[in-house]
Amino acid sequence: MTTLLVAKQYIINFISKYEVYLKPLLKLILALTSLMMINAKIGYMHRLDNTALVLIISLMCSFMPTNFIIFAAAVFTVLHMYELSLECAAIALVLFLVMFLLYFRFSPKDTLVVVLTPICFVLKIPYVVPLAMGLLGTPASAVSVGCGVVANYLIAYVADSAATLSGMGAEDMATKFRFVVDGFLNNKVMMLTIAAFAVTIIIVYLIRRMSVNYAWTIAIIAGALADVMILLIGDLKFDTNVSITGIIAGTIFSVLIAKVVEFFAFNVDYSRTEKVQFEDDEYYYYVKAVPKITVATPSKTVKRINTSRKRYSGSQQRK
Amino acid sequence: MINEEKVILMTKLASYEAGKGKKDILVVNYFRSDYIGFQILKSVIAATISFCALFAVYAFYNFEELMQDVYKMDLLEYGKSIIILYLCAVGAYGVISYVMYASRYSRAKKSLKNYQVNLRRLASMYDK
Repeated sequence: MTTLLVAKQYIINFISKYEVYLKPLLKLILALTSLMMINAKIGYMHRLDNTALVLIISLMCSFMPTNFIIFAAAVFTVLHMYELSLECAAIALVLFLVMFLLYFRFSPKDTLVVVLTPICFVLKIPYVVPLAMGLLGTPASAVSVGCGVVANYLIAYVADSAATLSGMGAEDMATKFRFVVDGFLNNKVMMLTIAAFAVTIIIVYLIRRMSVNYAWTIAIIAGALADVMILLIGDLKFDTNVSITGIIAGTIFSVLIAKVVEFFAFNVDYSRTEKVQFEDDEYYYYVKAVPKITVATPSKTVKRINTSRKRYSGSQQRK
Repeated sequence: MINEEKVILMTKLASYEAGKGKKDILVVNYFRSDYIGFQILKSVIAATISFCALFAVYAFYNFEELMQDVYKMDLLEYGKSIIILYLCAVGAYGVISYVMYASRYSRAKKSLKNYQVNLRRLASMYDK
């Protein structure tokens, strides 16, 4: 365990040392991943499905505030849907508009989850999102995760019914519109996933705040169990046809990832290195404040085994 | 000679000013009622736009039924029910925003008060 803690300390030191470069790099990777996934799934507008353009926008995202990634992803989604059908684009636009106007005004810190959730869905480990958000966020994160789930299922639905939509005539706007809204709102799996994730986040949050030993681990396990139970009961009740093996395997993998999150987030003071400048009457100060290392590297203990030998040899000599 | 205690205090103050303090100062620059009122106004505008967008989706979804019934139904009553729905939605969102921004204001004021206490401590160090 000490080795792990020391490794953690090295990682934290590394992050705080190179934070200036790591933050844009992570933003670049996230933007690149999300935009490429959108292009792969619903890349109907060929002008956007262009690696050079995706790279340029991702580079822009790396220097802009984090929320710009979500804005870029939303614009990409709406434009691709516009190429497929105007109705889809209108519905996506309204959905994103309501999300941005009503919810993200309050909690701009949580917005990244909207991008991370669909990415985790593609990686087949969506169950890690409610566990991690329960550990790191508040019950209000349930709304952010819900928005992410909605965005994911909207993209998936449009991708699945693209052939049907393009087969419908352009003049049949109202039918197309109804088709998209009906298909999207009657998606039982989506509703079930939102409910399961919301309950999981609340359970994990409530348990991890309890003052019991191993509260975080208990919270992860209880949350994972609740998530699996709700999804399976929902499957029985609404006949959602979800893959049971997929849920269980995904959840086990998600629990492992949540344990890693716990390891890095639990009791860690993430106060980073700060560089500040100020002056008083006598001096200009350029101060670099570095957080103290909480776990020291294990000190080597030297066991002296020669002493006893000497004594032994001494006693022999006496003989 | 550099006074270490003074440097530590100044560093803390400077890092607060550069980070969280920036936002807190912006918030506390307003009177409480002005800040909350302004934020609620923004919330009402956001809620109105969202309501209009959602209503447009609803109307387009039920376009055929609406067109068929437009001469039969009591338009005044229909309008009234929509306005009541709008007021309820905006009212609920306004209350949520009030709670959020009131707590945000009090948090900002608290941390700024702490900052001012440290500032006074620093000033007293110069007096010595």
